[in-house]
Amino acid sequence: MRKSEINNRHTLITGNKCGRILSQISEKNRGSIGSYVRRATAVTLAAVMLGASLPVYAKAPETGNVTNVVSDGKGRNINDEADPAEGSVSADNKDGDKAGNTASDGNAAGKGDDVVTLRVCNWEEYIDLGGWDEDEAMELENGQTIYGDRPIYQEFEDWYYENYGVKVKVEYSCFGTNEELYSMLTLGDKYDLVCPSDYLIMKLMKEEAVVPFSDEFFDESKEDNYYVKGVSPYIRNVFDENEINGESWSKYAAGYMWGLTGILYNPEYVSYDEASTWAIINNPKFSRQVTVKDNVRDTYFAALGVYKHDLLTSDEFVNASDYSNRLLEEMNDVSEDTIDDVGNLLQDVRDNVYAFETDSGKADIVSGKIVANYQWSGDAVYAMDQAEEDGVSLDFAIPEECTNLWFDGWVMLKSGISEDPRKQQAAEAFVNYVSRPDNAVRNMYYIGYTSVISGGDDDTIIDYVDYNFGAEEDEEDTFDYNLGYFFAGDENSEDYIVTAPMEQMNRQLTAQYPSAEDISHSAIMLCFDDDAAANINQMWIDVRCYNIKDVPVGIWIFAGAVVVLIVAAIVRRKMQMRKY
Amino acid sequence: MKGLRFSRKQLGIPYALFLICFVVAPLFVIIYYAFTNGEGQFTLANFTGFFTNPNTLGTLCYSFALAVVTTCVCLLLAYPIGYILAKSNLKKKGVIVMIFVLPMWINFTLRITALKEILTMIEGNLAYHPFLNSVIGMTYDFLPFMILPLYTTMLKLDNSLLEAANDLGANAVQTFFKVTLPLTIPGIISGVVMVFLPSMTNYVVLDMLYNSTYIMGSLIGSYFSAYNWHGGSMIALILLVIILIFTLCTNRFEDDDAKNRGGALL
Repeated sequence: MRKSEINNRHTLITGNKCGRILSQISEKNRGSIGSYVRRATAVTLAAVMLGASLPVYAKAPETGNVTNVVSDGKGRNINDEADPAEGSVSADNKDGDKAGNTASDGNAAGKGDDVVTLRVCNWEEYIDLGGWDEDEAMELENGQTIYGDRPIYQEFEDWYYENYGVKVKVEYSCFGTNEELYSMLTLGDKYDLVCPSDYLIMKLMKEEAVVPFSDEFFDESKEDNYYVKGVSPYIRNVFDENEINGESWSKYAAGYMWGLTGILYNPEYVSYDEASTWAIINNPKFSRQVTVKDNVRDTYFAALGVYKHDLLTSDEFVNASDYSNRLLEEMNDVSEDTIDDVGNLLQDVRDNVYAFETDSGKADIVSGKIVANYQWSGDAVYAMDQAEEDGVSLDFAIPEECTNLWFDGWVMLKSGISEDPRKQQAAEAFVNYVSRPDNAVRNMYYIGYTSVISGGDDDTIIDYVDYNFGAEEDEEDTFDYNLGYFFAGDENSEDYIVTAPMEQMNRQLTAQYPSAEDISHSAIMLCFDDDAAANINQMWIDVRCYNIKDVPVGIWIFAGAVVVLIVAAIVRRKMQMRKY
Repeated sequence: MKGLRFSRKQLGIPYALFLICFVVAPLFVIIYYAFTNGEGQFTLANFTGFFTNPNTLGTLCYSFALAVVTTCVCLLLAYPIGYILAKSNLKKKGVIVMIFVLPMWINFTLRITALKEILTMIEGNLAYHPFLNSVIGMTYDFLPFMILPLYTTMLKLDNSLLEAANDLGANAVQTFFKVTLPLTIPGIISGVVMVFLPSMTNYVVLDMLYNSTYIMGSLIGSYFSAYNWHGGSMIALILLVIILIFTLCTNRFEDDDAKNRGGALL
């Protein structure tokens, strides 16, 4: 109650101030429109002052209940008030990000030792927002019940207070593409923790814009360090081995979701053999029935697969001792000649595919407009689930040449953290909290992508896989699927074998958790240097443009004739006018 | 309280402010970017680059062709409709006009999504006729902008002139070309301006109907998403100049032909 009184008082003072400004202005210039303009300005100013001052007071240090002002990614704001007495503040605080930022600025400048503000920016629809139906609760074999009550980032605030004794306020916002996030950062938006894809992580590392994780984060003996304890040995290995500026990724980035790229197809029209190669995008048999991504990096990768098909599938190449290194090199080939050739190839692809799409492919394959669709594994899982509801059965194939192994991971930004150890601690705790096996399962269930967490000693994740995809005991037509590489870091481990019904083959299970075989011919797509990126972008623009040389002669003649006729008509008119 | 006194100048202030903030200032930013390179030095490379690249020139032609065809189709569809409406003896003309304007009340992406399904039903596979689809989509979208100015012009058409032509022995065709058409030129021009200009850049229609070819709007967008702000600004500037020339031409036409006649919406 005390706090709300304080707030009211401040509102009054601010209100009085505004009133005084207003009356002064209107006394001086009565009657002219100028005063109305000024008055309007004053009202706006006053409103801004009012809006900006309230959130600061809302976080008055001595009481300070946790206030959430977050956006759920669809532009709506969710206000969650811990104390009903603060309802008025909450209502005024709806101004969203702007007010929230002001609040945190005020906080940083003033008494800092109270609520930590953590600004998190993640992909849209990339975290469980809770609100599950009761029958959605999952009871896993190990006795754990998974149920999404509230958004994970809100539950984190309570968890953090319980475990660290510090109040934290998460400002959660979203971005749509990596390029968008990068633009936002270049334009000066401040975030503490963001979740970009692999190549943007590399770029940020190159630009030294990220903060390394602290030593405590890697301390496996600490109970709350769910990330280091739970991350899949396979993913850990990839993060350790890849380096930027001579430092491994794992020092700066913690994985969140990962997957492969492949072809989602309708088995009624397309065979597995036809779908399990990138050549499908150029296959005249499926002319105008396949879509690729409207995104230069993904489409370039697929076209490289077509372009280098013979090399990538030759026995000599596949069996070479340094196969994976060479594969990485080939799939990141951005020499000018290759870009030119791939550009030419893409011209043909453009004339063969149905469309370049970003999101509509999933709907189009269900409605039967297309029969195959270049897709990320997580979206493929989602599309297969949706299609089943509509009575369509879709499969997912990983191309034989090579598949793109990708990650999204958490990085802490220097510009946001700005050497504030409390922020860094909260950011690291956030990563650990979303990596807690039950939260990882919630996210996987909600968004369809695959978490990098395998659980370590905790068997929640493997139980979830079994719960989701495992065969019933009396089922006969089954296959054994060994996920040892992911859960134990050992392909031959016998401990992580899922027995799944035969119909799961090449479907959700294999899309969500690719086989060790598929993984063995995957390559990461690196961050290209500026010149190569500019070349590729230009190539892409050229592919999409209409070349003036393609204009048919007939059209030129026709256009010329039209111009001549118009000119003739105008001249004739002028002559007539002169006559009169 | 005394009565308020507004002078004309003062009434214009809000608009002037708006114009300065959101039109003039950004324009200068565009001009700055168009004539500089990444290091901020003055350069004409963006300009020459546009006119030496067959792909950007091709895009200009493609957009132009798309806009011309769309405008022609709109005109051919709208002119008879406008004429019939204006000349009919129906009492509730307003209602019928509203029926033509009604589609504008529905969200445009929704309309195009529906159109996509209809076209798929007719054509089987959209991807074989990208240009045709785009023309249909844009016509669907912009037709009301053509009908309205034509209708208002024709409404003001003096019937006695038509009767005079008839009395003096002109047949229907002659009456149309000698009387009706010249008198409705202001309506035609404002309709053309309202259809032609947006159809050169409205790439959402193309995107939604799966025409993967860039037009001017999407070309500018692609330069910006590739962080090439300088090239993108130059194309935007070139487009602006083209539009300016087009508008000046049509104004000129109007001056010549329909001086003080009025009736056009713009």
